[in-house]
Amino acid sequence: MARRKGRRYKWTILPVVSVPILFLVVPIIFFQVYFSLHQWTAYLGEWWQADFVGLDNFRDVLGESRFYLSFLRTLIFAGSSTILCLVIGFTLAYLMRNPFPGRSLFYLAFITPMLIVPVAIGYVFEMLLVQKGPLNQLLSWLTGQEIQVAWFAEAVPAFVSIIFIEVWNWTPFVFILMLAGLASMPKEPIEAARVLGASPLQIFFHVQVPLLRPVIFLALILRFLEALGEYPKVWSLTRGGPGSYTETMPVYLFITSWEHFNISKGAAMSYLVLLVVAVIVYLCIRLLLREKRTLEMLYGR
Amino acid sequence: MTKDAKRRLRSVGRYAALGVWLVIVAFPLLWAVTTSFKPPYQWFTWPPTWIPNPFTLNNYRVVWLGELLDTQYVQSASIQTPFFALVNSIIIAGTSTLLSVIFGVLVAYGVSRYGMLSERTLFRLLILRMVPPIVVVVPVVIYYSTLGLSDTYLGLITIYVVTTLPYSVWMTKSFIDEVPVEMEQSAELLGASRLRTIWEVVFPLIRSGVVATFMFILILTWSEYLMALVLSATNISTLPVQLNKYEGSTEGRLYGWQQALAMGVTVPLIVIGYAIHKHLVRGFSFGMLKR
Repeated sequence: MARRKGRRYKWTILPVVSVPILFLVVPIIFFQVYFSLHQWTAYLGEWWQADFVGLDNFRDVLGESRFYLSFLRTLIFAGSSTILCLVIGFTLAYLMRNPFPGRSLFYLAFITPMLIVPVAIGYVFEMLLVQKGPLNQLLSWLTGQEIQVAWFAEAVPAFVSIIFIEVWNWTPFVFILMLAGLASMPKEPIEAARVLGASPLQIFFHVQVPLLRPVIFLALILRFLEALGEYPKVWSLTRGGPGSYTETMPVYLFITSWEHFNISKGAAMSYLVLLVVAVIVYLCIRLLLREKRTLEMLYGR
Repeated sequence: MTKDAKRRLRSVGRYAALGVWLVIVAFPLLWAVTTSFKPPYQWFTWPPTWIPNPFTLNNYRVVWLGELLDTQYVQSASIQTPFFALVNSIIIAGTSTLLSVIFGVLVAYGVSRYGMLSERTLFRLLILRMVPPIVVVVPVVIYYSTLGLSDTYLGLITIYVVTTLPYSVWMTKSFIDEVPVEMEQSAELLGASRLRTIWEVVFPLIRSGVVATFMFILILTWSEYLMALVLSATNISTLPVQLNKYEGSTEGRLYGWQQALAMGVTVPLIVIGYAIHKHLVRGFSFGMLKR
């Protein structure tokens, strides 16, 4: 695209960028700092009368294993669901890269989970997974023996089910990205490799995958960052239970702030999380920025 | 094996693999749909009822019309019509989406044509969107209630506009970038003013893209849950928040009613999503991938 002259218009953009920053980002940072340094719960009078406690809230959060565990769970949850989404989404897209009868029907069916309200997904899976529910019946019927997995009462099944729901919900995202990548992939390198006598497997690993690398990165990064903050499905499905085995960081934060009304601790905690996530996001964005140029060269136009 | 047989085998394998995932995708959806047509005594039976018998519309009538039906099975649930929440959802999602797209087009045009912000800066602003919303919920809620914005339309709308702005900027920018700048230059040579150029040359060309952006952002704002949950009390409860209201005190979750409501929340989104399915890639990848 060609640039046009018009420097004097340059500042018309200022309100759109600065208003949110002034009226949203700055106060939010202020409140975040204020509450993490003061002791306040929702029923202790007005917030501006709260007692200054210094770093006590941070010490409180960092001193308990529940915080670290929830963070670890989030990383495992986000990491494994991202990888599974990628594997399944890529496989589906690869199988569907060329036209075949019924392709558009499969396409529409496969993008549907992405379009459903996340809370509703949580409730649907709750119906499926109850101990006397259809999934256990289906499993019993398929294996020919009585299976009664208590999906919400045991640690591993509960954690597996929240990962699976994330995968179910967001595989379409990876799928459409990969399909777009495969569809607009330049044909010449593949042809050239074929002429030079490469086997389909060699073409796949040495031509197609490297060409797709920026798209794969894009999908991985966006998916991982979104999964870090995933809240509605886990909340509506397990509320962090059984015990706290599916308590990911967002769920724990929500429980601390809105179930225990421990606003100060919640603020300190979100501050710590924000710092870690900011580093992760920054690294991801840098990575993405590097891949973006390749992406635009190959697929953007 | 002949080449033909090989090809047929591959085709069968492909349908089989796709079919497996199709079943996994369709099973929860079908279960949700059938549950919304089941009478109350079939919500929790063992073995589970797969096909509603008798097929009933009572759940929809209870939820959407507020009729008192099936009271012999469900005694203790508070019954409320979701029309209030539906209106709220339409107002909040509609307004915030519209504003987000308008701002998005303005910023995108400025960035695309005048280089008002470097693409790098714009890209960095994505960071704001990528931080999980949960970490800012506490300060947002207290800030908003101090301003008196909590539980008001304005509160949720401003939050939604800000959080969806990166999507609308990047998506509309990718459409504007496709319009050749020479067309604008020739319009200006013929004496059209800048605004007229934008309105009569650029806008018609990106109109379908803007509509797609609108629908895409609508999907995001319509299904948002966390902010709607913490920033609403009684005045502006939206449909996704209403979904967890269907719980009887003795019966547990009222699956049929809940699903009858969920259908109303979800079906519009699926229709919108199918309508703009060509542009979903562009939206979700912030305009970096096109089709």
